[in-house]
This record gives sequence, C-alpha cells and structure tokens, in this order.
Amino acid sequence: MRRLAVIALPYLWLLALFLVPFVIVLKISLSDTAIAIPPYTPILDLSAGWDGLRDFVADLDFENFAFLATDDLYWKAYLSSLRIAFVATVLTLLVGYPVAYAMARAEESWRPLLLMLVILPFWTSFLIRVYSWMGILSQEGYLNQLLMGLGLIDQPLTILNTNAAVYIGIVYTYLPFMILPIYATLEKLDTSLLEAAEDLGCSRMSAFWLVTVPLSVPGILAGCFLVFIPVIGEFVIPSLLGGSETLMIGKVLWEEFFSNRDWPVASAVAVILLLILIVPIVLFQRNEQKQREAGG
Amino acid sequence: MKTDFAVLTAAVLAATAAAAEDVRVYNWSDYIDEDLLTRFEEETGIDLIYDVYDSNEVLETKLLAGGSGYDVVVPTATFLQRQIAAGVYQPLDPAQLPNLENMWDVVSDRTGVYDPDGTYSVNYMWGTTGIGANPDQVAAVLGDGAPLGSLALVFDPANMEKLAECGVHFVDAAAEMFPAALTYLGLDPDSKDADDLEKAADLLEAVRPYVQKFHSSEYINALANGEICVAFGYSGDILIARDRAAEADNGVEIVYNPPKEGALMWFDQMAIPADAPNPEAAHAFLNFMMDAQNMAAASNYVYYANGNKASQEFLNEDVIGDPAIYPSAETLENLYTVTPFPARAQRVLTRLWTRVKSGT
Amino acid sequence: MSPQTVFAPWEDPASKPLIRFYGVTKRFGDFTAIDNIDLDIFEREFFALLGPSGCGKTTLMRMLAGFETPTEGTIWLDGRDIGPVPPNKRATNMMFQSYALFPHLNVRDNIAFGLRREGKPKDAIAARVDEMLRLVQLQKFAGRKPHQISGGQRQRVALARCLAKAPRLLLLDEPLGALDRKLREETQFELMDIQEKTGTTFVIVTHDQEEAMTVASRVAVMDHGKLVQVATPDVIYEAPVSTYVADFIGDVNILPGRIAAQDGTRVTIDWAEGQPAIAARTRLALAPGSAAYFAIRPEKIAISAARPEGAANAVAGKVLDIAYLGNISTYHVELPGGQVIKAQSANTDRIAAREFTWEDAAWLSWTDAAGVVLDR
Repeated sequence: MRRLAVIALPYLWLLALFLVPFVIVLKISLSDTAIAIPPYTPILDLSAGWDGLRDFVADLDFENFAFLATDDLYWKAYLSSLRIAFVATVLTLLVGYPVAYAMARAEESWRPLLLMLVILPFWTSFLIRVYSWMGILSQEGYLNQLLMGLGLIDQPLTILNTNAAVYIGIVYTYLPFMILPIYATLEKLDTSLLEAAEDLGCSRMSAFWLVTVPLSVPGILAGCFLVFIPVIGEFVIPSLLGGSETLMIGKVLWEEFFSNRDWPVASAVAVILLLILIVPIVLFQRNEQKQREAGG
Repeated sequence: MKTDFAVLTAAVLAATAAAAEDVRVYNWSDYIDEDLLTRFEEETGIDLIYDVYDSNEVLETKLLAGGSGYDVVVPTATFLQRQIAAGVYQPLDPAQLPNLENMWDVVSDRTGVYDPDGTYSVNYMWGTTGIGANPDQVAAVLGDGAPLGSLALVFDPANMEKLAECGVHFVDAAAEMFPAALTYLGLDPDSKDADDLEKAADLLEAVRPYVQKFHSSEYINALANGEICVAFGYSGDILIARDRAAEADNGVEIVYNPPKEGALMWFDQMAIPADAPNPEAAHAFLNFMMDAQNMAAASNYVYYANGNKASQEFLNEDVIGDPAIYPSAETLENLYTVTPFPARAQRVLTRLWTRVKSGT
Repeated sequence: MSPQTVFAPWEDPASKPLIRFYGVTKRFGDFTAIDNIDLDIFEREFFALLGPSGCGKTTLMRMLAGFETPTEGTIWLDGRDIGPVPPNKRATNMMFQSYALFPHLNVRDNIAFGLRREGKPKDAIAARVDEMLRLVQLQKFAGRKPHQISGGQRQRVALARCLAKAPRLLLLDEPLGALDRKLREETQFELMDIQEKTGTTFVIVTHDQEEAMTVASRVAVMDHGKLVQVATPDVIYEAPVSTYVADFIGDVNILPGRIAAQDGTRVTIDWAEGQPAIAARTRLALAPGSAAYFAIRPEKIAISAARPEGAANAVAGKVLDIAYLGNISTYHVELPGGQVIKAQSANTDRIAAREFTWEDAAWLSWTDAAGVVLDR
C-alpha cells in the first residue's frame, strides 16, 4: 500500500500540473468564442447530468484547428520560432561550450566559484536582466557609447528591436542551461584520454575534435534541448528586445488570447505548439536515458 | 432625541462596518495622485488596496476569466463596451453617487456610444491619439515647416523615409492606428469594412519600413531621451515624455499635437465588476473621485483631461490652459470616437496589424 | 649478436643506447621529482622502473612520452634530443594505467586510432588492425565498445592500440595494476612474449617488485627522484647496493653492526652482544669500527635442531612464529638478545612431519657468501 502511494505520488503530480491543465486547454480549443465569462462555449453543465455531458461533447469540434490551416500566419510563426530557436541554440552552444570547457579545465579550487558565477544571474529577476539589455543595446545605450568612444563606429548601430537583439537576449538568458550540462560531461572527462590521443599522433586540436567533443555529446545534446525547447515558446525576450519583424509563435499566441480574445483559437495554437515540442522532448528524454545507462 | 440616537447608532455601526472593510481598485500604472488614496482612506475609513496594470488586454483577460476580486476597474471605453456585453459589470446605483451632477456632458455624450446613459461607468480621464514630436530633430531632417500637426507627417512615406534617420515609434495598438490611417485616407475612421481596413493596412505597410518600433509604451522614454524624434501615440504618454525631458533638462523638447485631420478620442471609464466583493465601497470610491477638487487634483497630477465639469475651476493653468490637454472648442469639434470591433472584424484587424508589423 | 649470446648490450661499450637521459632534473615548484638522472636504455630491452609511489618513476616515463619536459638536462632518443618534440611527433607510444581507451569507439576503432592519424591507406590500416587483434586474441570482440568487455580484454586492447603503430619505444604505466593476481601473472608472460615477437623496446613502470623481476631485462630502483641501482633482476636481488634496495625487493634480514676486521674480501661484523661476529665476503673496502649492515635473504639461512658442523655462521634461538605458505615455511627465530631472524625452508615433507614447532630451540646457519655487506 505504501509502495503504491510512493509510485502514485509523481503521477498525481503529473496529473495535477500537466495533464489536467492540458485537458482544459484542449477542451477550450474545441469550443467556440462567446461574449461571456469565460469567453467561450459550451460550458460543461454538470447539473444537467448525462444530457449536459452529451450536449457538451456534441458542441465540440475541430474548427479552430481547421482555421489555423487557413492562414499562413500560423505555420510561418511556428516555422519562424523553430528557426529562431535553432539559430539561438547554435549560438548559445558556440558561446557556452568554450566557457564550459574553460571551467572544466580551470583549477579545481576555482571551479565552485566559476559555477556560482554561472548561476549568479538567476539571483536577479529575469525581467530586470532583459530590461537591462535594452539599456545596453539601444541607440544611446552603453554598447553604442563604448563602440563610438573607441572610435570603432561613427553612427550608432541599430541592435535593439532587431532579431540580433533577440538572439543576444536568448543566448544571454539561456547560457547557464547550456553551460551546466556540458560542464558536467567535460569535468568527468578523463584527461588521460587526451594524453592517449596525443600519444597516438593527435595534435591538441585534433584530440579536441576526436575525443573531447564526441565524449561531450551527451552534455551538448542536453544543453541544446534545454535551450531549444523553451525558446520555441519564448514570448518575453522577443517582445522586449525584438522588432516588429520578429515573428514567434509565443507572440501570436498572446495576440490570439489578449487582442482577439479568442481563447479557443489561442488554445488550439497552444495545443499544436505542444505537439511540436513533443518531438524534441522525447529526443531529450532518450538522450538522458542513454546517458544514465552508460553511466550505470 | 430618540431619532438622533438612532441616526447616531447607524452612523457608528456604518463606520465600524466600514473600518473592517476594504475596496480593491485596479487602475493603470502612474495614473493617480497617491495623496488621493490616503485622503480616501481618511475620509471613509475604508482600506484601499490599489493595484495597477499596463494593458487593457491584461485587465480584460482577468475580468473575462471571472473572480478577479476587484471592486473598481478602469478600462478604456472601447474595451468596456464588449465587457458590458459579456456581463462583466454591474449597473451603477445613482443614489450612491451624488457627485454624478459634476460630470461634463461634452464627455458623457461621447462615452454614451460605448455605455448608453452611463449605466455602467463614469469617466475618469480622456485624451486623444496624436503625434508627439521633437521639433528640432524633425526640422533637422525635414527642414522648417514640417507638418508636426498633420497625419501626413507619419503617413506620407516621403516624410517617413527621412524621419527614419532620427527614429519613429508607433503605438502598438491596432485600434488606434487604423482609425488614424482611415482618416488620412479620407475614409470613415469607424469603418469596420474589410476593404477599408485593407486600404489602411496598405498605407501602414508603406511607411512600416521607416518605423523603428511598435510598442505600447516604450516611446515615452525614447522620446524623452531624444532616441526618437516622432511617436504616434496617446496624448498622455507623450505629455509624460515632454515632462520627463523637461525634468532631465537634457535639451530635448517634445510637443504634442492632435492631428488636424481629426483625432481619435479615448476614454478611460471607472466601472464596478458584477462580482465585486464590496460594491458599496466601490460606489464610495467612485463618488470620492467625482468630487470636483479630488478629480482636479488627479488631473493636475497626471496631466490628463477629465470628464468632470465642476473640477475645471480647480485645475492648474498648465493643465486647463494647455490645448494639448484640453483642446480648443474647434479642435474638440474635430475629434471623433470609434465603436468597438465585433469579434470577426477584430480578428481581421489583428491579422492585418500582424501583417503590417511583421510582413507575414 | 648471435642468439646464443646473452642479451646484455649495457655491458658492451660499443653498443649505442636507444634512450639516453643526460643530467635530467624535473621540478614541480619546490618539489624535485627527478634529481639529476643519467640513464641509458638499449634497443630491445624490457626495462623496468621500480619504486614506491612518489619516487619519480611515472614522471620519468611521462618525460619519455613527452607529457613532461625536463627542467634541466636532455633526453635523447635514437641519437636525437627529443626535448622539443611534442608527444604526437615522438616514435613512442604509451599504455596508460587506466588504459585510456576511447569509450565512444569500439575495439577496432580504438586500435586503428593511431594508424588513422598517420593517414595510411584504409586497407593497410585494416590489415594492421587485424594483425593486432590476432596478436592479442581479440578478433571476436572487434565490434564491442570498451565498457562491453572485461578488464583483461581492455588491457589487451590498450596494448594492441599502442603496438599498432610499431613504436620504437613502448611505455607501460603500471599496465597490470588493475588485474587480479592470476590474470596478472598470465599477462606478464604474454607481455614478454609480445616483446620478443615484436622486438620493441619496452619501458615499464611498476611498484610491484615481483612483476619487475619477472618481465624485465634490467630494473632501475628509484627513490626520491634518484636512481638507486640499475641492474639485471638477479643482481638487484642478490647484490643490492643498499639496504633500501635489499629491503624493497623481496624478504630480507638486515642486521646492523660494525666492522670488526677486514682481510681482503673476508670481513667480520660485530652485530650483537653475546653473539659471534658474522663472517662474510665483500668487495667493499671498509674501515674497522665503521657502521655496516649485513643483509641476508631468509631462504639462504638454514634451520636445524642441532648446531650444524662447519657452518661459517651459526646462532641459536627459539622458534617464535611459523608462517606456512604451502610450498615453503618462514620461521621467525628469536635470539637471546631479542633480535628476530627469518629463515625459510622448502616443505619437502608433508606438514604433519614438520621438524619444528613454536617455542622449539633451533639453530640458524649460513655460509660466508650467503649475505651481502652494505655500508648504507
């Protein structure tokens, strides 16, 4: 009985925090908009018993999903989100890997401090950190002042409100999620493997590519998924740092929900987004599983 | 004697009851003189819990989800109308609002479009949507005599191309930008016709490459810092930018002009949600705010015009005397209001706005 | 050199060493790991570096591989100063203590790793890998990943991987440390076999004296960064130069004393009150009265019930302890002065017929050539 409870607990957790909200969203996505509180029909009327349930189910349909197919905005937004998430993940990897590598190669006594520095930004509100980037990247911002002060540019660069600013914001915000798993694999890496590679004829560089990189693949994959998955649905960074041409599904979702007050269509957008995310999430899980098996 | 005693008892009981109760007010950020809040608590003995938001959409979503817990909210009239239709509000009780007599018919006639006879709401502040400009910077790129008070400044691509050098922001609100575009095209600003909206979208798309950003409020800082030279947005926001620049003494001068072709009027209305926990206290708050001196204090603080006729004699000269806040009678003639978009037209509008902003 | 002659190039002044350490010192900060070492290692040698942990043997080997550079002095390989040559350009390969097999590559790819870096043609690489797999008898495991094979198999893959490139010099860092005793002994012979077949020069680092004795043509005993003795295993065992070497290798009785008299190679040592002086032979010239140590292996001491006739050295005591090891027994015999001397004898009879038991009186005896006289 106690064992059953132990097993049931995480499932209850999952049920309460994921499945139930998802079912609610799914239900709304099958409803129609209405000028009412809440702004959709039908509402499940439990007092009417079976008839109420039957009427409720009969009124549900997939027209909101069909609607998503009629306008190219949606798939373009999904695609654009995937593209932005992909590019941002690659950029985060390019910045994060050398940092993780340097940390793993640093003297052991320094590592706890370096780790803390990586996590340190989390001690400040995410929103404040993104806002401070607005101050750095704006026309009159610190970056432009610095570059002009150094005489590198005559005219301030327009960075804020472009995709470049979105990428900077994403790379900055998600960097720890990339660094930490890569660091974890690199730190475990047996340095005698690198010596063996050198001994067998590798230069330092080729030893890095032939040994260090392949052996850090699990960390790279974990980091990439941890960045890619949340960035697809990212809303705050593109709305604060992005320009109007930054098309992301998170913003479209916001507009459906807030501007159009079309909760059903907004829910349909969210359901599709979840379905898209399932692919990388499953891949991520498989990677974790493989790593556990290799480790055990 | 006996009667007096009863009255006294009732008053004491009421005061005791009131002391135990509170009123929750949900208003726009930076939209009140906070001294008024303390004064309300002192006068009525009701605890005031004051909370702020910065978008109509956020407010609306809370109200539509139900059970917001607020007693007084201040939506913009266009939003108010459909919220009334959704059953969000309760009718006001005129018996509890003796200060209704202070209201200004010029304003309440127009808000009647959204809330006939003011059944559900009273006006808090109102303003126009128009052009904020930094005359020096505009003159630097367009030369002297640039049409600072005309829609041509922001809708003529030839002007915008040059203005892009010094920076232009548009307020990120389709409901403000489309009526203005329709007005510039000579069409009915209140048109819900898909073809008309399409034409307005084409016009907006023509100048879109020169717009640095569409945002609900960022143009306040951008104007004040001199980062941009033109913003199309709410009068109140642009006046805040003007004052901030003046305070900072950074050499930035900002002027606000309602477009001479006609300017959209907006109204922020105080209303009481149907599920307000404490409607009596809500009425007390509304009545308190409708007091001539209190309302004047609010306007003097935020530099917005209000819908309270009686308050005008208490307004500072830099408020009542500023045509950017209280337009002249003839400009007032030129101001228009629009009706809210029905659901289907709203979707068309949002979609066109997305197309304008993102090219998709 | 004909096959009949004993392999001993170090005794031939005409032979050129493959490796020459010349005044090599290595310091890590204040710590001196290698202290002014001169050493020659010859082609086809199986050379063992022996010593306790921290004696500098691993550092010496890592300098050969190129992972450390000498602070002072030079190292020559094939008549060339290899100081500036990076590890990947040296004709040496190393087998790591941890084996350092690449976990992401299978056995075949591990063995092929070094060959691929040379840019050899594919079929040549495949042929060489097959040859190596045959040599270490792992043909069946070519497709497995390192974590899918046993410790002994991993060790053989590591060996095959560093042999694949046919290095001039193969370095083995405690190669058998991770194996159990039986497997280790088998592998030792396998190693010698492979060394003979391939004719490669091996340098092995070990702290296991038995292993060094078994496999090596010569052994260098190290202590605190210095070479204490470099010699063939039998010389190291039979003629250690110091009590440190004598004690490090095998079981030994070390009896401290003073030189009583010396006459040519004959020497007598006073070592304990009430005991006759030890008669021994030595080539050392020792002043009477100077401190000296007499070191004698237990198996060179005979134990008997009666005083043996004509023994050069004989002492009486009583049996304190008996360690029965199956093939032999070690007797701990206590002398009247309290000293304990170990003597070993082969158990030619079954245990029931044993001559001595605890507390029995016994005589220990040895010849004057059985032990060595040491001055340090």
